[in-house]
Amino acid sequence: MRQVSLLRLIVVFAWTGISSLGGGRSAYFHEALVRRRRLISHDEFVQDFTLSQVLPGPNFSNLAVVLGYRLAGFAGGFWGLLAVVVPGALILLAAGALYAGGAFGATAALLMRGLSAGVVGLVAVTSLRIVHGSLRGLRAVVVALLTFVAVGPLRLPTVAVVLVMVAVSVALQWGAGAGAAAGPLATDSAAGSALPDEEA
Amino acid sequence: MASLALLTWTFVWLSFLCVGGGLGVIPEMERQAVTVHRWLSAREFVDGYTLAQLTPGPNMLIAVFVGDRAHGLLGALLAGLAMFAPTSVLAIVVSHHWQQWRRRPWAVIAERALVPVGVGLMAGGVYTLGRTAIHDLTTAALAALAALAVATDRVPPVLAILSAGLIGWLLWR
Repeated sequence: MRQVSLLRLIVVFAWTGISSLGGGRSAYFHEALVRRRRLISHDEFVQDFTLSQVLPGPNFSNLAVVLGYRLAGFAGGFWGLLAVVVPGALILLAAGALYAGGAFGATAALLMRGLSAGVVGLVAVTSLRIVHGSLRGLRAVVVALLTFVAVGPLRLPTVAVVLVMVAVSVALQWGAGAGAAAGPLATDSAAGSALPDEEA
Repeated sequence: MASLALLTWTFVWLSFLCVGGGLGVIPEMERQAVTVHRWLSAREFVDGYTLAQLTPGPNMLIAVFVGDRAHGLLGALLAGLAMFAPTSVLAIVVSHHWQQWRRRPWAVIAERALVPVGVGLMAGGVYTLGRTAIHDLTTAALAALAALAVATDRVPPVLAILSAGLIGWLLWR
């Protein structure tokens, strides 16, 4: 861990949060911290990125916390989180107030229909990219497919689905990976080749 | 009071269901916010996700939007805290130990086991948003158009979404 001043960390993280519109949000962090400012190495970033994906929770904020911790310890994690969440929350609240106040009249309601259809197109593509990079082997595909059908079309409660599918998945991976389990995290190379977009 | 506590608790456990991407929690969040607790309508939920996508910061700020619709600013604050604070504490604790843990066999298996579940949940999130947002040929065409634009990597996502909104508005007005 190296020490970056908290003020610098807050400014960089807040700016990254504010400029990360649309999609590919983790890529903005990669651009800001690895490519532009060289505060951390690519390998360190990939490791933190993988961790932020595996941990439960919104993974853009997880990434901010883990990167902040790497750069400036516990205070860095705390302020890094606030810097990416608070500005966006205020902007969304303002937009929400306009929405509730009826500024979204008939015109805006029509606009929202097209916008939300566009969002579905975006998240479909970014999700497909992650699927493409992260599902290895038939077992993983089957687990992903069953999980999708259960929470999507069948609308089953996610808690129950996750409990069952994680158990199934661990059992399958245990059977499959006894020999291969000694290597480093399998997703390191996948995440490094093309930072998949996640929408958290 | 009781309803504020219910709102907060709901988003705390929802935050722990965000496995491998915030999108994965969308099916359950919609179920809770729209069907179970009726904090807002399915249309408002999709509009809220769309606004969260178009504004900066994590998409899971949708929690703040739902909290605001349910209980005003206090609801927004509590839902936001519930969504981000507990999982962030977990992230910092694990991050602190991860250097020693990450190469152990159980950590490798846990990761391999969680990834496909996360992918399935995420696909479920796309499906849930699509169920409300795509209801005719035009909205399907707009989604396909935005998807194609984003897939080329030459169109910024925000521009693709705004274009879909504008084209839809021109067609429907």
